[in-house]
Amino acid sequence: MTGVWDWFLWLYEAHGINLPVFYDSYDRQRFFAGLLTTLELSVCSVVASVAIGLVGAWALGSGSVVARRLVQGYVHAFRNTPPLIQLSFLYFAVGNLLPRLEMAGGGSRPLLDGFAWAVVTLSLFGGAFNVEIFRSGIEAVPASTVEAAEALGFNRWRLHRHVVLPLALRICLPALSNNLVNLVKTSTLAYAIGVPELLYVSAQVWADAMNVREMMNVLLVTYVGMVGLLSFGLRRLEAALRVPGLGTVGGQP
Amino acid sequence: MIAGDGDAVGVLATIWKWAPLIGRGFLLNILISVLAMAMGTVAGLALGLGQIAPYAVLRRPAQIVTQFFRNAPWLVLLFYCILLLPYQMTVGDWTVPMPAWIKATIGLALPVMGNVSEIVRGGIQALPQAQWDSAESLAFSRRQTLWMVILPQAIKPMLPPWMNLYAVLIMATPLASIVGVEEAMTLTRFALSAENRSELLLPMYLALLVAFFAYCYPIARWTARLERRFAVKH
Amino acid sequence: MPVRLASFASALAAAAVALLLTVATAVAAVDDIKAIQAKGVLVVGVKADYRPWGFIDPSGAIVGMEIDMAREIADKLGVRLEMVPVTTANRIEFLRQGRIDLILATMSDTPARRQASTVIDPPYYAGGTNILARKSLNFQRWQELRGRRVCALQGAYYNRPVAENWGAIIVAFPGVPEAMIDLLAGNCDAFVQDSSLIASTLVSDPVKWADYEMPMETFGEQAWVMAVSAANREGSFARFLAHLSQDWHRSGHLIALEKKWGIPPSPFLKSMHDKL
Repeated sequence: MTGVWDWFLWLYEAHGINLPVFYDSYDRQRFFAGLLTTLELSVCSVVASVAIGLVGAWALGSGSVVARRLVQGYVHAFRNTPPLIQLSFLYFAVGNLLPRLEMAGGGSRPLLDGFAWAVVTLSLFGGAFNVEIFRSGIEAVPASTVEAAEALGFNRWRLHRHVVLPLALRICLPALSNNLVNLVKTSTLAYAIGVPELLYVSAQVWADAMNVREMMNVLLVTYVGMVGLLSFGLRRLEAALRVPGLGTVGGQP
Repeated sequence: MIAGDGDAVGVLATIWKWAPLIGRGFLLNILISVLAMAMGTVAGLALGLGQIAPYAVLRRPAQIVTQFFRNAPWLVLLFYCILLLPYQMTVGDWTVPMPAWIKATIGLALPVMGNVSEIVRGGIQALPQAQWDSAESLAFSRRQTLWMVILPQAIKPMLPPWMNLYAVLIMATPLASIVGVEEAMTLTRFALSAENRSELLLPMYLALLVAFFAYCYPIARWTARLERRFAVKH
Repeated sequence: MPVRLASFASALAAAAVALLLTVATAVAAVDDIKAIQAKGVLVVGVKADYRPWGFIDPSGAIVGMEIDMAREIADKLGVRLEMVPVTTANRIEFLRQGRIDLILATMSDTPARRQASTVIDPPYYAGGTNILARKSLNFQRWQELRGRRVCALQGAYYNRPVAENWGAIIVAFPGVPEAMIDLLAGNCDAFVQDSSLIASTLVSDPVKWADYEMPMETFGEQAWVMAVSAANREGSFARFLAHLSQDWHRSGHLIALEKKWGIPPSPFLKSMHDKL
């Protein structure tokens, strides 16, 4: 491994291509820590946003008018405002209103730190889109299929669990993949509230080493590779789950 | 809570004081979004047509470029353009200055281009093959078929995703604040810095959210209406 | 790749770079003041979120101590002043690109920056690194920051030493307002900053900052410098600015500006005034 790192040192000395994230142990450590933070941020937000989407779509389909109005209000509010301002608003303004944890060594900690607020904001933002995606997926399940299951004596829970949701998920998977990929890209916004994700650490490195050009390219390649892998995986999943004769909504084939 | 009432009035007065300046910033958000959409649409249309070109030498690069700009985070592309584009361009005898907001516009137009390319490809490929075949049997050339038969039909279903993309774009314009363009978010931050009072945080950011909502929500409603109208009946 | 070939290649590259640099310096000995006067405008990168050195008023105009200095420079050259708000993380890149002619944006003097730009001597101000922290935390030594959340600015040169030497957890924001908000909210235990900024913040609003202090021993006294493009190291503009900076110290102009903007008197300005 050392040989590989040294090659980057040589690259700098011989060609002026300065990539301290590979040859300098401190920069390398923070770069990969940033990559890890981005991955954690993405996984947490994706999982939470899908959960929000499911609960929201279920509430929209329930009989309660209040629940429906609440969910619609949430969806409109988060879909029609910029995620960066949502993040600043939630972190700087709302975060200050929450109770605080007193620390043993003096001082206090906020209930949620920057990372947690980034997850909350990204999940709420992505979730607002997921609600709509799941709703349209559920609506697209053919009525005849539902009726057939009911005729076979399925109750409401089993109907959803075994018939509607599996079909709805397949129907809306392309749109869902699109949204989840977007969510991972949106995780760069956490930069603005000081969460040490990939963009943040890269900015620190280029400020210290004055190598904007090289760092920018490393950053682009890393993100495009990561997002490319994710969309590839999701496409494989779509193909594996495909049921002949069942169409999809949203997203492109 | 007389003091509280006084504070509330003070906060409103402060927001009012900064409103004209931040309002001007918001106009820049709109200007950036409109220009980036125009640039991204033209480039994306060309790229999308490239993606369905019959020649692999044209098709493969168009596909790669499309995927690249769809997969790169908007903020990273923005940083790239702001920090690495030159501050002016010389075209022949002309020297065109490139202030930060123009570079930001280009930075935002790039992902728009990638997404428009995908919308164009999807829209055209969604049309039945029979459209191509019947046009061919009427002795239309490929170009004639594309411009006179395919695109006129494909444009309507492309409209809702294109408008959705615009909504995503306008909501991405505050990202320009991170790279120092003086749009609404930047000016709000500057105002907060000049006022130096933490009780202004909530109302000022909230006002900014409301401004964006007031602009985006009607567009979203309109898009949803078009979507329903153009929906293909199953 | 064989070692010998690699070292030969690097020697070759070094020679090429050296040659390029020589050419660049030779070309650079031009009259860049003439170029600015021909343009009719001086573009200065300034801070717009760094009260009282550079901040905006409700009309959108940028004001502050550094803005007064920038205006004077433009007046002396007989050109219009255009100000571009910059951040700590992007100002050098803007200078390199030529988007700005001059950095006048609370920039500390570091070797890396000296390499990337032409730093003007003498410096117009100086400050070290210190922290703004709640009195109740009773900080005394830098070592006590280990494991503490410390707010900072993206791109500040002292972020790395504070994290590396004393184990502080640096949380860096794009601008001063965000970091101050986070500190006031108690999300950070301290805000690591230039000592001059901290001193002026503390006196700017004694009520609001009554519970805060600047407790550490200031380290790494760094000069604040103006900088022009690295290519114009021998240019007339750099010479002009060096003379002007000297005049400002000698005449007490900088001390007057400091007073005008309510900044606590800095020992640096006094010693420079006495020396010159």
